[in-house]
Amino acid sequence: MKWKTYDKGDVLPEDYKKALLNLMSFQGDSEYAGAQRVAENHRFAPRPEEAYRLSKKVMEEMGHAYYVWNLMQDLGVDVNIRLQELARNPTNPDPKKVNIINGFRKENWSPFFECWEDVALFSTVVTPAAVAFLGQYRECSYLPWARTNVRVHKEEHGHLAFGVWASKRCIEFGGEKTREFMQERIPKFMKMGLGFYGRPSAGQTKSQMFDIYYEYGIKVKKPEELQAEYMELLESRLGDIGFEVPQGVEADYDMRMGYEAAESGATIETA
Amino acid sequence: MITPSPDQLVESNASVLAKFGYQPFGGEDEDWGGMWKLLQGDFTTQQRPRVLDFEDLTLSQQEAAKVYMRRRLIADRLFEECRKAQADLFKGIDTERVERYSIAREAYEDSVEDFGKAREKLDSMLPRIEN
Repeated sequence: MKWKTYDKGDVLPEDYKKALLNLMSFQGDSEYAGAQRVAENHRFAPRPEEAYRLSKKVMEEMGHAYYVWNLMQDLGVDVNIRLQELARNPTNPDPKKVNIINGFRKENWSPFFECWEDVALFSTVVTPAAVAFLGQYRECSYLPWARTNVRVHKEEHGHLAFGVWASKRCIEFGGEKTREFMQERIPKFMKMGLGFYGRPSAGQTKSQMFDIYYEYGIKVKKPEELQAEYMELLESRLGDIGFEVPQGVEADYDMRMGYEAAESGATIETA
Repeated sequence: MITPSPDQLVESNASVLAKFGYQPFGGEDEDWGGMWKLLQGDFTTQQRPRVLDFEDLTLSQQEAAKVYMRRRLIADRLFEECRKAQADLFKGIDTERVERYSIAREAYEDSVEDFGKAREKLDSMLPRIEN
């Protein structure tokens, strides 16, 4: 399927622009909020290299937010208020000002993290979902955003490598006991990973907004396709570390990247 | 302080570099032993529960440990540059500032990678308990 594409400076149809900005704001705002959550997890870093690598990840996630916000600015959005809001209220930003995915809200995020092993597992088990999900935007119909996501996708792959590295190091330092401890913790993160894409594209529980995004070519893959991509990535990563893929894990859709205009509370004023 | 080489060719290399701004380091050397105490946790794996003090490492291990610690010092400086560029974005997001941040960030990231490589090199030189 081919979509009509738009480049920088093109006049965008109003409905298209509204849908596009909604998804872009979710990506930009959530990248920044995600970086803040990762920064909070810094306290778990048990060794020097882990601390430095996590600090690098914080800076990288923030960079992704700046890329996307800069594009939104080209479309007439005042993005500085988004940065200010997140910096001023990192733990409870106003949902009328920013669009943060549920999983990156502090109250939802914090209970998942009790130790460094959780930090390592998040990057191993959930990040592949982000890689697959955001990867689709590389082919989306708004070309400046597609190009930005080529850059983001490459860097997100680096985060996958971080998860595998950090997990292997946990085992190197903690031995078999740590490997077993981590294996038991995989399902809680896998639920989040499986629910990352939203509900299936067909059936009674289907997302109301998916068809619109798909028709515009803003989302270019169906949740089912993304989930298959995720599982492929996840299986290879878990296998590389020596973990087993847990069976029978159900997706948690409440932690998903909502990315649905109907649920977007933040006002996106454009000039 | 720099110990001059008895080989004049090595010293003449230094004078060529000096034409481009090279200056011999004249300050106090780092407290390598003190820094090593803070960082040696990077090496205390299950197969190496204890790591020697810096002074007790062999000459080549000490050199590799110094490279590892110098890489960390470089990462610290680049981290500061990255923070400056990050703070600057609060004056207003625009393409120039975003690209400046991106360059500072990539340099910091590369320095962390170099720190990691130096850790791996040293790790390969330190003894482990045989299974």
